[in-house]
Formats: sequence, structure tokens, C-alpha cells
Amino acid sequence: MKLISLTLLIALGLSAPALADTQKAQALIDKHSKLPEFNNPGEAFDARACMKDKKMFVIPLTNSNPFNAAISRGFSDAAKMVGFQLRNWKTQMDPAGWIQGINTAIAEGYHLIDLQGGLPPEFLVPQITEARKAGIKVTATHNYDATTQKKPDFLDGAANTDYVTVGKIIAAWTIVKTGGKVNALVLGPDEITPTAPIRDAILNYLRDNCPDCKTKYINVPVNEWATKGQPAVQNALLADPSINYVLPVYDSMSQFAVPAIQIAKSKAKIVSYNGTPFVLDMMREGDIVEMNVGESLGWVGMAGTDANMRLLCGLKPVNQLNTPAYIFSDENVSTAGVPATFNDGYGDVHQAGFSKLWGIE
Amino acid sequence: MDHNSNPVTAESYEQRIARLESKLSSLEQGFKTKSLLQRPVDWKASSEKFGLLAAWLAVILILGAFQPEQMFSWNSYATMFGSNAMIIVLTLALIVPLTAGDFDLSVASTMGLSSMVLAVINVKLGMPILFAIFLALSIGAVIGAINAYFILYFRIHSLIVTLGTGYFVNGLILWISDSGTIAGVSMGLVNAVILYRFLGIPLGFYYVLILTVAIWYGFQHTSLGRRLLFVGRGREVARLSGVNVIQMRAGALILSGLLSAFAGILYTGMRGSADPSSALAFLLPAFAAAFLGSTSIYPGRFNAPGAFIAVLFLSTGIMGLSFLGVDSFVQNLFYGGGLVLAVSISQLIRDRAPMD
Repeated sequence: MKLISLTLLIALGLSAPALADTQKAQALIDKHSKLPEFNNPGEAFDARACMKDKKMFVIPLTNSNPFNAAISRGFSDAAKMVGFQLRNWKTQMDPAGWIQGINTAIAEGYHLIDLQGGLPPEFLVPQITEARKAGIKVTATHNYDATTQKKPDFLDGAANTDYVTVGKIIAAWTIVKTGGKVNALVLGPDEITPTAPIRDAILNYLRDNCPDCKTKYINVPVNEWATKGQPAVQNALLADPSINYVLPVYDSMSQFAVPAIQIAKSKAKIVSYNGTPFVLDMMREGDIVEMNVGESLGWVGMAGTDANMRLLCGLKPVNQLNTPAYIFSDENVSTAGVPATFNDGYGDVHQAGFSKLWGIE
Repeated sequence: MDHNSNPVTAESYEQRIARLESKLSSLEQGFKTKSLLQRPVDWKASSEKFGLLAAWLAVILILGAFQPEQMFSWNSYATMFGSNAMIIVLTLALIVPLTAGDFDLSVASTMGLSSMVLAVINVKLGMPILFAIFLALSIGAVIGAINAYFILYFRIHSLIVTLGTGYFVNGLILWISDSGTIAGVSMGLVNAVILYRFLGIPLGFYYVLILTVAIWYGFQHTSLGRRLLFVGRGREVARLSGVNVIQMRAGALILSGLLSAFAGILYTGMRGSADPSSALAFLLPAFAAAFLGSTSIYPGRFNAPGAFIAVLFLSTGIMGLSFLGVDSFVQNLFYGGGLVLAVSISQLIRDRAPMD
């Protein structure tokens, strides 16, 4: 009997394929399922004293996008807390508006210009150079990845996002849910700066931690999500009905992936990033959107302000936003509000955290 | 209203219409007469009529040779038919004013506005879906009427007016949606468009099939449809024959707005949500299908069955190439190339007569 068991054990051991590292994946999920905690991005400092006679000018990618509007509100809240002058420029995703913003900031003697929430600084190098010649610091908040991308030399600072961790969380979730049998269709618009780090993190994490997992990547530019995104997902699902996860790098693509999944009669689920309210609503009300990694955008605005103030006050620079990635699933999605918002569900530890850090209490 | 300056009696009006109709059909048949006399079956005309259908079959067979499992699976076609419903409607919306000689570049914007109005009324204001559908359709008709007013009263080229109104409507969409996507539209609509199926095909497709048959009947078998064609072929001749050109063109533009709004309803029903910008991208696929469709079934005329087949032909090609793993840029090649090719073929049919 002993011999049989031993032979069986050896046979099983030899024939068993390499297993996915579900434990490691589960640990990552657990870590980001907890309500965000506040970690100081740097040393405490007297923000009121150092910002006394300084003015900050924030240019968002666009004002007609709730994502950027929520970050801008975070900047305004921080400025109010500290008590310095901050101007949120109005733009409609047009380079002419961005350039006009920089010119206004130069003309009105601002001390710092922040290009916020995905506005590509590369489009504005001549204007940025002119502003810096006039003695203005120019920074970018929530654009570059904290580990795989570098701040270009023509900027004075950049408060970056940890997109790689976001990608890892998405991949880890699918491994845990399928027990290491993921067949994922990953979608992304390659022309957007953060796509590469998130996309590569998802694909690499699955490759390195899940030997039985399969992936396929499709690039769909943003302005063609409707015309190309849906047929691409649909055709991929028809070509390979065993696809069990559709992973759009940005969750707004879900609105085109959901009908594709429904029409193709697929059982695939959607896991994505951004915490966009309508996608959280889709999660709450339907079965296809399974998980979404979000971040408090009010917090992003305050963390961006913190990094900018340190730059203006000559303190040690902070290059990474301390805003944690947070997992929304069926269990906690209602905490994001009904209907969901960009700021609810994450708690408000950042407000107390920053006011203590800035010596305001 | 200078067409009234030459009043015609009811009798002579009918006679004129009949004469015009016979002249038109003799013109259309002109190039066939010779071959008809020579052989019992007119192969040239038939190959033109059914060329697109044959090409469609060829595409299925050629791509099927490489990917038989997916290309010969009913599910692939059921899925494709369901997801193309709104593009077919948008194409139908285009061919109505095109038949009357007017371009409507605002169709995709109207589709977007209807889609968003539906979501705002149903989700944000919590009103019943049927009321939201009624309102969305009405707004489509109103946009058509506005287009007609500027084109016909001020006598501006339709391209300019509809380009402007389309851009204006895009602004309205951003305004009423607060630039965001709205999800959570009544499941009743989603069920009625894509989730309920007959023979595996989502119901939305059948509405479009009925609409196509209705427009085909209207164009081919009613005097209204024939008059619309005369207006498109020669406004002055039509006017002198007593056709109320202004009324016909205005009606075509209003119907175009109404159909675009219906496309928007199907679009929202398909996704259960509405966003402010994505509908605009369907303008070119619809134009490509409208012109490609005009080369078949009734070659040389914009026609509903041709448009219907053209949308499905283009989508079949895209689907097959995706199965083969070709990148998504293939869609641009297909739709862009299809448009230019289709217009070139229809010009050959018209003996390369200059386009006005």
C-alpha cells in the first residue's frame, strides 16, 4: 500500500504541470482590497509659510472629462487648506487651449504650472521652455509611470503613478479567480502614455506567474473604440470561445466590450482600471464587469499639490503619488455611491494625512 | 416657391409623371437594350445587379478556406448581423436624402444625440423608456427639419449645412451628458435589441430587416419613391414636371433625421449605455456602405437592399480577416477603400458622367 501511494505520489509529481502562483496573486489582491492607508510621501513641512507668496497654475487635459475635473477639485481643496492662490485653467482637450493656459500663467506671474491627468507635455515643449525661461517651474501630475518611465529633461518635476502595480493587480485577480486557467484578451490604446506600463505589467505578470495562462493583445486607438473595439472583441471571442477574461487597460472601453461579450454569447468577465463611475454602476447592476482598480482622484490632486509645493519650497522632490490602488468588486462597489462617483468608497484618510504633513492642524 | 409659377392640372400632372417615369426607365435600360436583343439572358446586367452578393459569397468561401471552423459557423453570422443593426439603419438614413440629391453629414451626430437623449431621459430623469424613445425620435425629426430649413430656404449646399448642424449637435451631446458616459438604460430595451434572439440572431436585426423592406417598397413601388428619384436625377426637370421639389427634399431630410435617431436607439439598446462621442465614428462606414450598395441590386441608384448587403459584405470581410489575426487597421482599409472603389464603380455604370 505504501509503495502504491509512493508511486502515485511520484507519478503525480512528475506529471503535474507547473502551477500558477495563486498565493502570491492572492496576497496582492488582499493588500489592495483593504481601505487605503496614508503613507507620508516625504518629510513634514510648514506649507503655509513656504507657500505664502506663491501661486500655482493647473492645466488639465480637459475640463469636459469627469476624471480630470475630479483631480482639479483635489488641487483646489489642497490650495484652500494651505491658503495659497491656485487657478484651474479651462480646456477642451485642445492644444490651443493648453498653449493659451501656459501664456496666461507666464503673463500673470505664476510660480508653477502643472499639466494634469494625461496632458502630454511632449506636445508643448516650446511653450514649456518659454515658461521655464521666465522662471516658472513646470510639472506633470498623473501622467508617467513611476517605475518604467522617466521624467523628461524639459520638465522640472513629475508626480507619477504606479501603473505597473495596477497591471499586476488585474492579472493577479484573474489568476486567483480561475485557479491559474486564464485565457485573457487584453485591450489598450497604444497612443496613450500609461498604456504601455499597464499592458506590459498584465502580460508579463501572467507570463511569469501562470504557466497555463494564455493572452492575446489588441491595440484599439481611443477614437476608434466604438467602430473597431466592439468588432475586435466580438471576433476574438468567436475565434476563441474559451477566452474567459477581457481586460481593457482603461475601464471606459468596457461599454464596447460588454455588448461584444453579450452578442457573442461569451461567459467572459471584464476586469479593468480607473474606477470610472459608469463602469462601477455596470458592475453593481450587471454580471459582466467583475472587478475594477480605482484610485481616489481627490487624493491624486492633493498628492500632486504636495509634490509641487515641495518643488517650490526647495525640499527633497517627491516623484511618486502616494495614492493607493484600490479594488472594487461586487462586495464593496456600493460604497462608491449609487450612482457611483470618482471620490467615494476610498475613505478620507488623505485629508487628515496631508493636513498633518503640511503642519495645518 | 417658384415651382408653383407653372400650375398644372391633376390630369396633366399624372401624365407628366408617367412620361418622366418612362423616360427614366428607358434611360436606365438604354445600355442593356443591345445585349438584350442579342441574347435571351442579360448576363452583364445580372452580374452588375448581383455582383456584390457574389462577391460576398466569394469572401465567405475564400476566408472560409483558411478558417472554416469560424467562417462556416452560424453563430459568427448571427453575432455579426446583430452588431451591425445600427450601421444598416444609419446607411438607410443616408440613402434617403442621397436619392433626392442631398448629402446629410449630420446623421452620425443625430444618432449620438438620440442615443444620449434616451439615456439622459431614462437614467438621469428616471422616465419610462417608451417616452424616452419617442422623445429621441422626435428630436431626430426636428434636426432633419432644421437641416431642411437652412438648405432649402437659404439655398445653401447640403454639405455645408449638415456639416455645421452636425458639429452643433455634437456640442449639445456634450452639454446634456456633462461630457460623461451614462450607463444603466432600461434592460427592457437591451433585451429587445440584443439579448432576445430569434434563430440565434438578436432581435435588433429583424427590426432593421423590416425597415429595409419598407424603404425598398417605398422607393420602388410607390409614386412617392419615384418622385424622390426624379428630384435626385434632375431638380429642374422634376420641378417643371410639377413635382414639389422643396417638399420632397425636406421630407427626405426629415426622414433621414428620424432614421438616424432610430439608429441611436439601437446603439443605446445594444450597450445599455450612451457616451458623448463614439457614434460619430460610424459616419464613414455608413457612407461606404451607401455607395457600395448603390452598385448592386439596382445599379446606379441608392437602394435599401443594396445598402443592407453592402454593410454585411464589409463586416464579413472585416470579421474574416480578424479571424485570420490581421490587425484592426484592416477596418480603415476596408471602409476607406470600399468607399472610393464603390464610387468609382458607380461612375463606370454612369459612363463616367461628371458628378455634381
